[in-house]
Amino acid sequence: MISYQNIFKAFDIPVLTGVDLTVETGEMFALFGPSGTGKSVLLKTTLSLIVPDQGDVEVDGLSVYRGPASNLDTIRRKIGYVFQHAALFDSLNVYENVSMGLPEEELAVLRTAELSRRVWDALEIVNLEPREILSKLPSELSGGMKKRVGIARAIVGRPEILLWDEPTTGLDPINTAAVERLIQRLSKDLEVTSLLVTHDVEGGLHICDRVAMLHSGTLRFCGTPQEFKDSPDPVVQAFVHRDAAIAALDMAVV
Amino acid sequence: MANLILAPIVGWFAKVGRAYRLTVEHAGALGILVWESIVAVVTLKVSFRDVLRQMHIMGVQSLPIVFVTASLAGIVTSQQGGYQLISSSPRYVLGTLVVQSVVLELGPLLTAIVLVGRIGARITAELGTMVVSEQIDAFKSLGRDPVAILAAPRIIAGIITMPLLVGFADVIGIYAGMLMADLDGGLGKETFFYGARLFWHSWDLFYGFSKSLVFGFVIPVISVHMGLRTRGGAEGVGLQTTQAVMFMILTILIIDALFPPLLLQ
Repeated sequence: MISYQNIFKAFDIPVLTGVDLTVETGEMFALFGPSGTGKSVLLKTTLSLIVPDQGDVEVDGLSVYRGPASNLDTIRRKIGYVFQHAALFDSLNVYENVSMGLPEEELAVLRTAELSRRVWDALEIVNLEPREILSKLPSELSGGMKKRVGIARAIVGRPEILLWDEPTTGLDPINTAAVERLIQRLSKDLEVTSLLVTHDVEGGLHICDRVAMLHSGTLRFCGTPQEFKDSPDPVVQAFVHRDAAIAALDMAVV
Repeated sequence: MANLILAPIVGWFAKVGRAYRLTVEHAGALGILVWESIVAVVTLKVSFRDVLRQMHIMGVQSLPIVFVTASLAGIVTSQQGGYQLISSSPRYVLGTLVVQSVVLELGPLLTAIVLVGRIGARITAELGTMVVSEQIDAFKSLGRDPVAILAAPRIIAGIITMPLLVGFADVIGIYAGMLMADLDGGLGKETFFYGARLFWHSWDLFYGFSKSLVFGFVIPVISVHMGLRTRGGAEGVGLQTTQAVMFMILTILIIDALFPPLLLQ
């Protein structure tokens, strides 16, 4: 379970102004919101990649900001983080990138054959052909392949929680649908808790158990996908319908 | 009316306050970076392979440009020295002038300036790009320490490599100066080295290498620090790299100016 408690964060202007949110164990949860509302900021507070000005995050009862420093190490081992633009290490090939997803202490004791098998399995799970790409550098991969390698790196350590930061951003509709199916399949097959930050309302509503919407730094809505669609809140309605219009436009272009 | 008088004064104090805050921020962040690097080294988190790789980039790959810079420095010092000394001093003094100039000042300073452009800017741009493409966050999310992986190997490599490069620059600079003295003024090798030995102090060599050690520490520390503070996209990387180069050159010149009163008195 992930619990965000009264999170405040300001850069030059306030971004998050007291966000409380709980994602239950085993749940697939989507967080929507317009650009600049702090979705990714909230996600990054889970691993202390961004430190909130106020508030705390608890992961399975362990406090990120009020507990001992060892809590963060434990939490980081539990969580796989999929970055918006994959964030693959430029100087490392695919094999080295994916193996970085394993904890250091595990990496130190794993034999080469076992390590290769783990990397191989992770790449196959995300529908990549390991033989073809293991020795390639990130600059030699397409955008969709980079995202998949980023996902492989996040799952190779067998995390209990997956955090997805706009995983479909920058992908064409076909790759977007493929990544959405992959997110859904991984969450079920690996039995992990998933928190998905996305602009793609249609996709999020389709694959998630519960959804929430951030607006102007606060949580505007939290409930099931059906409740979201039926919400009388004009801000929620505007967001849902704008997304539907954009989806229709995408289809027309395709 | 009062506002017209007060506004510029308040504005001036605000600027001073911002500059003070920025200086304290930089000093604090630099101190933390150095401390974390020491901890990474002491706790054996730094990969020996990474240090060797950085030494190759900073040292071996810098040899051609250091060779050219040191040669030209020796040649120019020899020519200008010869021109100034032609009628006022014995000719062997040119050997003293070239060797002292190269060992005390030109070798360490020019090598440092070359390394700022070749290595410092590269480190800032590389780490800045890693920040804006979230690779640093990726390291943290995977439980890795970016300081142990990225900062410490570069700092160690800088401290080891810089004195070696300065030693190389000193030898090249002195020989280039000697050759030019022979070609330009017909000053033989023996006479040149007679002059060099006449006023030679072993302390001068220690002085030059002390400088190079400090420069070898300062360049990677500032460039890593500036790289890790990068914000924004490509524009942010460009801006930060420019500021890092300015910061490094200014720091090197200030340290260079502090050395004579500290070690040559």
